[in-house]
Amino acid sequence: MFEVIPPRPAPAGVAGIGGWIRRNLFSSPANTLLTVVTGLFVGYVVIAVVAWALFDASWGQVWANQRLFAVYRYPADLLWRPMAVLAAMMALIGVMGGAGRSNEILRGLFWSLVGFVAVVTVIAILFWPSARVLWTGVLAASVVGYALGAARPALVRALPWAWAAWLFLGFFLLYGVTPGSGLLRIVPARDWGGFMLTLILFTGIVPSFPLGVALALGRRSKLPAIKYTCIAFIEIVRGAPLIMWLFVASLLLPLFLNTDPNNLPAILRAYVAITLFSAAYMAENVRGGLQSVPRGQTEAARALGLGGWLTTSLIVLPQALRAVIPAIVGQAIGLFKDTSLVFIVGLADFFRVTEIVANQPASLRVTGGVKLELYLFVALIYFFFAYRMSIASRQLEKQLGVGTR
Amino acid sequence: MPDTAPAAVRADAPTDGQPIIEIEGLNKWFGEFHVLRDISLSVNKGEVVVVIGPSGSGKSTLIRCINHLEEHQQGRIVVDGTELTDDVRNIDQVRRETGMVFQSFNLFPHLTVLENITLAPIRVRKWKKSKAEERARFFLDKVGIPEQALKFPGQLSGGQQQRVAIARALTMGPKVMLFDEPTSALDPEVIGEVLEVMVALAQEGMTMIVVTHEMGFAREVGDRVIFMDQGQIVEVGTPEHFFLAPREERTKAFLSKIL
Ligand SMILES: Nc1ncnc2c1ncn2[C@@H]1O[C@H](COP(=O)(O)OP(=O)(O)O)[C@@H](O)[C@H]1O
Ligand SMILES: [Mg+2]
Repeated sequence: MFEVIPPRPAPAGVAGIGGWIRRNLFSSPANTLLTVVTGLFVGYVVIAVVAWALFDASWGQVWANQRLFAVYRYPADLLWRPMAVLAAMMALIGVMGGAGRSNEILRGLFWSLVGFVAVVTVIAILFWPSARVLWTGVLAASVVGYALGAARPALVRALPWAWAAWLFLGFFLLYGVTPGSGLLRIVPARDWGGFMLTLILFTGIVPSFPLGVALALGRRSKLPAIKYTCIAFIEIVRGAPLIMWLFVASLLLPLFLNTDPNNLPAILRAYVAITLFSAAYMAENVRGGLQSVPRGQTEAARALGLGGWLTTSLIVLPQALRAVIPAIVGQAIGLFKDTSLVFIVGLADFFRVTEIVANQPASLRVTGGVKLELYLFVALIYFFFAYRMSIASRQLEKQLGVGTR
Repeated sequence: MPDTAPAAVRADAPTDGQPIIEIEGLNKWFGEFHVLRDISLSVNKGEVVVVIGPSGSGKSTLIRCINHLEEHQQGRIVVDGTELTDDVRNIDQVRRETGMVFQSFNLFPHLTVLENITLAPIRVRKWKKSKAEERARFFLDKVGIPEQALKFPGQLSGGQQQRVAIARALTMGPKVMLFDEPTSALDPEVIGEVLEVMVALAQEGMTMIVVTHEMGFAREVGDRVIFMDQGQIVEVGTPEHFFLAPREERTKAFLSKIL
């Protein structure tokens, strides 16, 4: 017979944080030196930044211009309109998050957004009497959406319609319907801006997806007219920087359409440029996926009697898209930041507002000006969203890699 | 390549049967390359024809012409009374009546076994989902893997995948089954389980054209064996003929390598 020996802790020096540090940071004299030098440098930078942020920086300008950052010159008494659109958006995302809560990625994305909204809501409750109700409403909408999605996962099937309705009604709510001064009065697009505009432009990724898929399929078409039109579009659009297409859209589009530029809001023109630009890149991503599907898949489908369209939509595309989801998320991250280029055609997106605030007399009165604070604030917001997407992309890659089926 | 080959051999089906596949004077080129030369072949209902020949001799191309995965340039191919022309309706018609099993299985990796099998019956034959699933389970049972219905192809062994592929083709209710080296990509120990399914199918009277070098299979259920070389049919006969008294030098040389 023998006795069970209870597990013993690993000898000191191997396990625990101490062990990890010793093994990874101080394993050799060279490594130790590197660790010390890097540590000193990082420590110095962190202390300097924190000290500056706490004692020298003047955050007053960020605080005082919160509305410019959020919506630019959108009228203060109509703020409930963009907030209602936001609340509806969060509710729909909530339904997705609730119905898909067994999926780590969907759940994580949802709670990150809710976390962001919750932080702003707390700030609003404490400091912004006028926005208390609105932000609490957005937070409530998110949670209600989540609860609905969790209780009735079948709601997901209605989501495409819900999103379409959201897009349509949302636009009218933002833009308004009546001239004059009522609750639903028109807010000219030149007054839209800030983070709201950045988000609006970012949604260009959504229509660019079906467009990109269509272009990628068109590029493989047997009909020369379609094939070469698609190739020409993709190559020409990718051949010039986005900034140029923004110019083209803002200067040439009104000429082509023979209208007064003021009748075609600058936002719409920029939106079209961003969407088409993104579609061309999307097409190339999707094409990569299409090429990764073995020929045998098409042959097996055709041999079973499936026609060309069914073969493409049921067999080839699902496999192709699965292969390029990470690339598409990467493209979304890029586009999110590239929307800042619209300043070049006179739009006041989130990034451009920073510049505007920095040039306000109030900013210039501060010795040395207020620039670093503003850019740091904007950078942090961009970083929060871009980094969150990048985490999701990595999780996605892992999930797709594990379940290769 | 100079045209040195002797005149092609015809591979006509016995006259006492009812022909379901008729190929007459078939020629096909890949660009300049003359891959099929003057193929004349007919197959009766319920016949099992085994096609053998060295790699690159055109065996795959020949059976892929029969369901128009490859387009031919000369000659006539008639399957169950439908001639393969450029008419898409004829092509679709023929594809509905012929099942094909590939060397590399070609299951759809993003669909479950059951979805793999029911996809075409639902979309092409317009069956109800319940009917398609019932038929699918019947054939899964028949190929001996009823318990794998809800798995994904990637979770199955090669032998199981190939049996799913056979069940997938059978569920469409084809009149003819085409097999292109169905066991060549399999580990030796699972070849038997696939051949067993094919033998059972042959014994039930399915019309089959099988490209394979499994001469045991040919001997057991093959009605005729066709030897191809350089795009031509070189010799035709019963399996016994090939085992006992092959006539052509090329046939002998080839058989000495595989037997
Ligand atoms: N799509 C194609 N394009 C050009 N040549 C091909 C193509 N498919 C097959 N071939 C050529 O045709 C010949 C016959 O091929 P195949 O029918 O696959 O032979 P087998 O199946 O007897 O090995 C080979 O030389 C092969 O290289
Ligand atoms: Mg072959």
